[in-house]
Amino acid sequence: MSKKDQISKLSDSELVALAKKKSKYFGALYDRYFDQIFRFTFKRLGGNESVAGDLAQQTFIKAMANLQKYEYRGLPFSSWLYRIAQNEVSMFFRQQKKNYSVSIDEERLMDVAGEANINSYMSIEQQEQLVETLNKLEQSQQDLIELRFFQEMSFKEIAEIYDITEANAKMRTYRILEKIGKMWEEEE
Amino acid sequence: MRKFTLNKEQKTLTPTEDQIKRQKDFARLHHDYEKIVKRGKKPLYRDPKLFLLLLIIGLMFLLIFLES
Repeated sequence: MSKKDQISKLSDSELVALAKKKSKYFGALYDRYFDQIFRFTFKRLGGNESVAGDLAQQTFIKAMANLQKYEYRGLPFSSWLYRIAQNEVSMFFRQQKKNYSVSIDEERLMDVAGEANINSYMSIEQQEQLVETLNKLEQSQQDLIELRFFQEMSFKEIAEIYDITEANAKMRTYRILEKIGKMWEEEE
Repeated sequence: MRKFTLNKEQKTLTPTEDQIKRQKDFARLHHDYEKIVKRGKKPLYRDPKLFLLLLIIGLMFLLIFLES
């Protein structure tokens, strides 16, 4: 078995320990998680390949630079990477002087509508109106809605990213959905 | 700021394997990381502030020498 194969079979915590000593071992963690972090940034940026690639690379550079501070606390290493990626994406949106357009699939939008107790059938105009409602939310609220509905993450995964409990993630999400429902009623 | 829009063109929001391959490059990452971490310091003679400071110190010594 080659050394590369042996390294790739190590657990995350073993690899992190090795990478803390020698940065070249970080490569195995990069190989293991790049695809999913890139998929995450790609979707969050509405399919912009080059920016998503840059943000994914930036995520790993930050992870590499801060690896000494990383402590295993029972959460998967990927949660830490997602947290960094989430911050990178949020920072990117904040830095944009013009509005950065993020596409939402109709199906996913209907999931939001369903959970927010809005009509189960919506015309295109109503869908557009719901998108406008989402645009009125605060950025942190939009982030949560994006993770839950557009990234289709479980509450457990969201909780790991924000370092909160699963119940708290659920509660925050449902409060935002309630707010969306109220905003919708007011606009109707 | 971000602005949500409805994906009317049915644009795919999942990257293809080719796109992933194109962006995945540990050598580039390592190079960028090294560049950030081991950012070369400017040589003394190319740092204008330090150059000015050294010049002032030199002039002071010259004045002290001429006075004495």
